[in-house]
Amino acid sequence: MSERNKKNPGKLFLLSLAGLAASLAIAACGGGGISEGTDSSEAPTAAAGNASGTLNISNWPLYIDEETISDFEKESGIKVNYTEDVNSNTDFFGKVQPLLANGDSGGRSILTVTDWMSQKMWDLGYLQKLDPNALEPIFDNLIPSLQDPAFDPGRTYSIPWQSGMTGLVVRTDLAPDIKSINDLFDPAYKGKITMLDELRDTVPLVMKADGIDPVNASTQDWLDAIDKIKQAKNDGQIRRFTGNDYVQDLAKGDVVAAVGWSGDAVQAQADNENIEYIQPEQGCMIWSDNMSIPLGAPNSPAAYEFMNYVYEPANQAQIVEYVNYITPVSGVKEILAKQDPALAESELIFPSEEFLADCTNQVSPPGDEAAKREVENAWVAVTKG
Amino acid sequence: MTTLRQRLVPYALLAPGLLWLTLFFVVPMYFMGELSLKTGSLADGFQLTWAFENYTNAISNYSTQFGRAFLYAGVATVLCLLLGYPLAYAIAFKAGRWQNLMLFAVIAPFFTTYLIRTIAWKTILEDNSPVVDVLKFLHIVPQDGRVLATAGAVIAGLTYNFLPFMVLPLYASLERLDLRLLEASRDLYASARQTFLKVTLPLTAPGIIAGVLLTFIPAAGDYVNATFLGGTNQSMIGNVIQAQYLVVNDYPTAAALSFTLLVIILIAVLLYIRFAGTEALMGEEEEVR
Repeated sequence: MSERNKKNPGKLFLLSLAGLAASLAIAACGGGGISEGTDSSEAPTAAAGNASGTLNISNWPLYIDEETISDFEKESGIKVNYTEDVNSNTDFFGKVQPLLANGDSGGRSILTVTDWMSQKMWDLGYLQKLDPNALEPIFDNLIPSLQDPAFDPGRTYSIPWQSGMTGLVVRTDLAPDIKSINDLFDPAYKGKITMLDELRDTVPLVMKADGIDPVNASTQDWLDAIDKIKQAKNDGQIRRFTGNDYVQDLAKGDVVAAVGWSGDAVQAQADNENIEYIQPEQGCMIWSDNMSIPLGAPNSPAAYEFMNYVYEPANQAQIVEYVNYITPVSGVKEILAKQDPALAESELIFPSEEFLADCTNQVSPPGDEAAKREVENAWVAVTKG
Repeated sequence: MTTLRQRLVPYALLAPGLLWLTLFFVVPMYFMGELSLKTGSLADGFQLTWAFENYTNAISNYSTQFGRAFLYAGVATVLCLLLGYPLAYAIAFKAGRWQNLMLFAVIAPFFTTYLIRTIAWKTILEDNSPVVDVLKFLHIVPQDGRVLATAGAVIAGLTYNFLPFMVLPLYASLERLDLRLLEASRDLYASARQTFLKVTLPLTAPGIIAGVLLTFIPAAGDYVNATFLGGTNQSMIGNVIQAQYLVVNDYPTAAALSFTLLVIILIAVLLYIRFAGTEALMGEEEEVR
C-alpha cells in the first residue's frame, strides 16, 4: 500500500463503499444470476416452414467432413456457421447454461450433446419439441434400435448425429490378454492403465464387469463400483483419469490399456496399428450424440432442413467415411460397400447384432436429485482425490 | 471554477479504472459471495438460505486439495526464485550484447498457448524419455518408477510455466540497481558474498516480492498442470472447483471453495508483505539502531 493511501484511509474506505453500493444497484437490476428452468412438459414446438437465412450449428470437433456443409449450402441456399465448440458435455453445458436459462440459445439453432446431457437439458426446459411432420425423412431412415430410446421415447426432442461405444482401448502388443474390464484391475498392469473421468462411461462398465446390470442398478451399486475404482486408485493401479488424451498415453506406451471410445481407437489405429478397440467380455456402453433445437433458436426451419439433409443416406455416407463412428442412418452401409469396402465391413462403424449383444445404452445414476448428487460427489472425490 | 475543475480531475482520471473494477471485480465478487450462501440444485433453482455450512463442508471435504495446492505452488515458487534469480542476474549484468536475445528467450514461450506448453511436458517426461532415463541412472527416480503422473511432474510443470513471471520483475529491479553502490561496497572491503547479501539482495527485494506474488498466486489456483501432468492423487483445489462447477453443477460449493481460496491467498499475501515487506528486508531498523 502506498504512502498516499496510508494517509487517507477514510477516502479509500468511502470509495470502496461507493463501489459496493454501485455493484448492489447493478445486481438489483440484473436479477438473480441463475433462474429456475421451465417445466419441460410445457416446452414449445420448434417452428417449421420455409428454410432460408443463416443457420448456426454447434458440434464436437472432427465430427463432420469438409464437404458436407458447403454441399448443403449450395443445395438449400442457407448460410451455415458450423462451430466446433462442444469439447465436453459438462464444459459446454457450463458455458451455455446461463444463456439457456434465460431462453437464449446464443444464436444456435442446433446443438449436439450426448444422450444424458440431451435429457438433462430437456428436463431443465432448455430444448424445444421437434415437429415430427417436418422430420418425416428422418423417421424413415433412422435405424430401429435408435427410434425409441429410454431417455426420449419416440424422439420428441433429440435426433442422433452419430453413435459410439465405450469399451477397452488396448495396446495389443503390450497387453495382449486384456479382454475384460476386470483385467484392468490385474496387478501386472499396475500404473499402466487409465479410465475416463466421465461418470456415465466408466462406472457402468465396472458394474457390468461385476455382473450388475447398470439399467437396474441402485445408488448403492453405483457407490460400490466407485469404491472399487477408488481402491484401485489408492493401490496405484490406475495411472490417471482422462478425457480423450488417453490416446497419446497409449501411443507412447506409457499406458497399455484404457477405458475409451471406439471412434478414438479407429482414428488412433491409423497412426499406430497396435492400438485396438476391444469389446469388453461383459459388453460395452453405447451412446449417441444428438442434435436438438434449443430454446430461443433463431432459425428452426433451417435446422429441420439440415437434419433432414444429413439423414439422406448418400449425404450421411460422406460424413461416416470421414468420422468413423456408428451411423444412425440405414442404407449407408450399402453405399459405402461400393466406395470403401473395408470401412463397410468394420464392426466399429457398422456393428453386428452379435457384436453389440451385451452392450447397454448409456445410463445416469438413479433416484432423485439428492441421490444423483451423492453418486456424482463420490465420483468427483475419486477422480479429483 | 478552475479550482473545482482541478479538484475533479483526479476523480475523472480515476473513473475508468474504478468503473472497470466495479463491473468486472466487485459485481462478480458480490454474485459469487451470494451464490456461495445458497442451497438447491440446478433443476429446482438455487435459493439464498445463508447456508454458511457450504463453507465448513467445502473446507472439511477438500482440505487435502487445499493443502496440496499451497504445497505445490509454494515449492514451485521457491524453485522459480532459485532458478530465476541467477538467470535475471546474468541477463542484467553478464549478458552483454546477448541481453535482448536472452530476454526474448524468457518471453518466447508465451508465443505458444499455455495448454500446448503444458502438454509438451508429457512428451519430455514420458516413461521412456531420455530425461527419465537419466533420472533413473542417477537414482533420483527408482528403477520401476515414473515421473509423469506424480507430484514431481506437476511441480515441474508449475515451475516451468510460471518462471517468466518470476524472472521479469527480478530483471526489472536488478536492471535498475545502481552499480556504484556495489563498487562502494567492495571499496569498503566487503567480500563478494557480503556485497550480494547486504547490498544487492536488499535492493532487489521489491522485485523478489513482486515475483513471488506473481508466481504463487496463479500457481495456487492452477488446475491445468495437475490435469495433464498429475496422476490420481495430485488434484489441486482448482481441479475440485472445476469439477464442482462443471460436473456436479453444485454452483454454491464451487463458489464457496473459490471464495475460501481467495481469502486464504489474501491472508497469506498480507502476512507475507507484513513480514517480508520491503522495509524489513532492507534492514532499515538495524541501521537505525
